[in-house]
Amino acid sequence: MADHYRSEPIEALRLESVDKVYGTEDNPVRALDSVTVGLAPGSFTAIMGPSGSGKSTFLQCAAGLDQPTRGRVFVDGAELTGESETALTKFRRQRIGFVFQQFNLMPTLTVYQNVTLPLRMAGKRSDRDRTTAMLRQVGLADRMGHRPSELSGGQQQRAAIARALVTDPRVIFADEPTGALDTKSARDVLQLLRSSVDHLGQTVVMVTHDPVAASYADSVMFLADGRSAGTLDKPTAETVAERMTHLGDEVHMQDASADAGRKVVGL
Amino acid sequence: MSMIALAVSSLRHRKSTFVATFLSLFLGGTIVMAFAAMFDTGTADGVDSTTSEALVTMASVVGGWGLIIVAFAVVSTLTMSVRQRSSEMALLKNVGATPGQVSRLIVGETLAVAFAAALLAVAPAALTGKILLEILQETGQAGEQVGYVFGPVALSVGFAVTVLGAATAATVAARRTSRMRARDAVAAAALEQSGMSRKRKIAAWVFIALGVDLGVVTATVFNGEGVDAMQTAGQASIWFAIGLALLSPALLRMVTNVVGALLSRLGAGGWMATQNMRQRVHQMGGALMPIILFTGIATGTLYMQSIENAAAPVANTVTTAEEAQTIETLNLVVVGMIALFAAVMVINTLVSATTYRRQEFGQQRLAGSTPQQVLRMVGAEGAVLASAGVLFGSIASIATVIPYSIARTDSVLPDVTVLLYVGIVSAAALLTLASSLGAARKTISTPAVEAVAV
Ligand SMILES: Nc1ncnc2c1ncn2[C@@H]1O[C@H](COP(=O)(O)OP(=O)(O)OP(=O)(O)O)[C@@H](O)[C@H]1O
Ligand SMILES: [Mg+2]
Repeated sequence: MADHYRSEPIEALRLESVDKVYGTEDNPVRALDSVTVGLAPGSFTAIMGPSGSGKSTFLQCAAGLDQPTRGRVFVDGAELTGESETALTKFRRQRIGFVFQQFNLMPTLTVYQNVTLPLRMAGKRSDRDRTTAMLRQVGLADRMGHRPSELSGGQQQRAAIARALVTDPRVIFADEPTGALDTKSARDVLQLLRSSVDHLGQTVVMVTHDPVAASYADSVMFLADGRSAGTLDKPTAETVAERMTHLGDEVHMQDASADAGRKVVGL
Repeated sequence: MSMIALAVSSLRHRKSTFVATFLSLFLGGTIVMAFAAMFDTGTADGVDSTTSEALVTMASVVGGWGLIIVAFAVVSTLTMSVRQRSSEMALLKNVGATPGQVSRLIVGETLAVAFAAALLAVAPAALTGKILLEILQETGQAGEQVGYVFGPVALSVGFAVTVLGAATAATVAARRTSRMRARDAVAAAALEQSGMSRKRKIAAWVFIALGVDLGVVTATVFNGEGVDAMQTAGQASIWFAIGLALLSPALLRMVTNVVGALLSRLGAGGWMATQNMRQRVHQMGGALMPIILFTGIATGTLYMQSIENAAAPVANTVTTAEEAQTIETLNLVVVGMIALFAAVMVINTLVSATTYRRQEFGQQRLAGSTPQQVLRMVGAEGAVLASAGVLFGSIASIATVIPYSIARTDSVLPDVTVLLYVGIVSAAALLTLASSLGAARKTISTPAVEAVAV
């Protein structure tokens, strides 16, 4: 362990043996089962797996929106310890950006106000030029004064990405960010995430069902039944689709895939 | 049939909205039936003429005022609940429901709720009526031997008012929603774009003018006429308050413009509160209405009575001690009933409106707001609502207090205790803040991720 920290830069995200159990004691649902992952800064990772495999749970535990039942989560070397919602919120404000399938912009605020809201909540001043530049980058320079209900889905999602970027977080999490969008808007959103990695050095973790969306990432991590089921580097839509169809088989060979997973995530 | 089935199933999914509608109809129905029972009792065989007259007067005068306020509250609650559901309605239209079907859905649901409310109001109304009669007998206004009757008038008036009134209000509210195009309705649910209708503005000014007129009549025509001045004075602030309540979105906008800049400087919570109030004058205005009514009517009526108690008897009118007693009882019953009703409306409206914002609070928390910041925002909004409600309620009460003081004591300002006013204002502020903060606290106890997933 000590070696690991000395020889490599601090990981942007690290999960150590994370379990998440929902439900009652008599009827537990194990959504995450000892998941261990480490992601390098400046990487773009897609998370894939069948419905109910624990992708959203993984993202929420990693992003401090939910607390693991067991295990530890580190963001940029800082441990996410969940005492209270307030503490978790303050942790997230400094280190984490989140993009949701349903955008989750505030309906009463303009695009500009929405984008600067996280800074305002943190009691920080927002830099007008920087925010404007950010909005120009996501193609919304002429929509700053509009409210979310006056925008298309793709525009709303781009505003949400600008909001996630504005605090300059260590990691951006996105849960099916293109799930509610048409093909063209989806491509714009994926290109934005890609360019935040390439040009700003952002770290992005994105859950998706779409092999084409996954092909924008540097690597894909597969989940099945709450367990890590291997990874795939330099994914293309074809290799991802191929792997997804065989994911069922792989769950039965958990040991093998866990080994493979370990190699790729650098354990 | 399918629409009725849909209506019943959707009842289950919008709990807080329906609770609000139900409560206003239930309480309204109880009050209307209880007073209508005085009519049943007073017109029964073998009741002496004095008792009969006292009871029928009570039923028609007091019941009449009650009716107006109940109708007003029910309409505003229904409008709020239809507004809260406009995005759901838009969704129905998107999947192919015709505007007619959407209207029938709203009216059908409201009828179901109104009928249940009226039915459940029968027992408490019968009890309230009995207590009312006992009070009247104890103060000697009704003969001891008069038997209590809760009969056909109570039931028919109660059901007619509750069910028909609700259906009419729902039809009007539904027409507005169902006329909107589907896309606009989704947008309107998120953001209000429409102003107040012309009809509403006209109605508001008519009520205000009526209130002022009654005040002027009190101060001039009834000057020196003793307790008779109450006939006009008492109503003046009620009409004035209803008029101002109708204007509440505009009034709230005015107040927000004045205090917004200051509030925005009090941190992120205050800033969010200002943005919300700017964008949602109608929704927030709905919560302002009952605060204005509560303050205006309670202040007006209670001060009128305390001016009366302090005033010297007028030489040329003969008011016996007994009559004075009757009047005081009547006033206290009226003000008690209306104030209680308005207080419940304040709680009702704020709890429903706040609970409805669950998703929005969730989104705000996901954007980096701590629970305390959400509560501070709700608290700031509550403080503005309470201040505005108290301010305009007090203005409405002037229509009763000053004219009555002129009529009875020839001085503009009454020489009575200010403690009563402090009590009313504190009650209004406490009710507003406690209901909105209490509901917000409960609403944000759900994890944010769950709250945003509708
Ligand atoms: N709040 C909850 N309470 C109980 N069980 C839950 C809860 N949230 C998720 N689960 C369960 O945990 C498992 C993983 O759910 P999760 O939402 O993470 O799946 P997912 O991979 O994101 O699926 P999808 O692709 O459908 O979004 C599922 O079996 C789900 O039913
Ligand atoms: Mg999911």
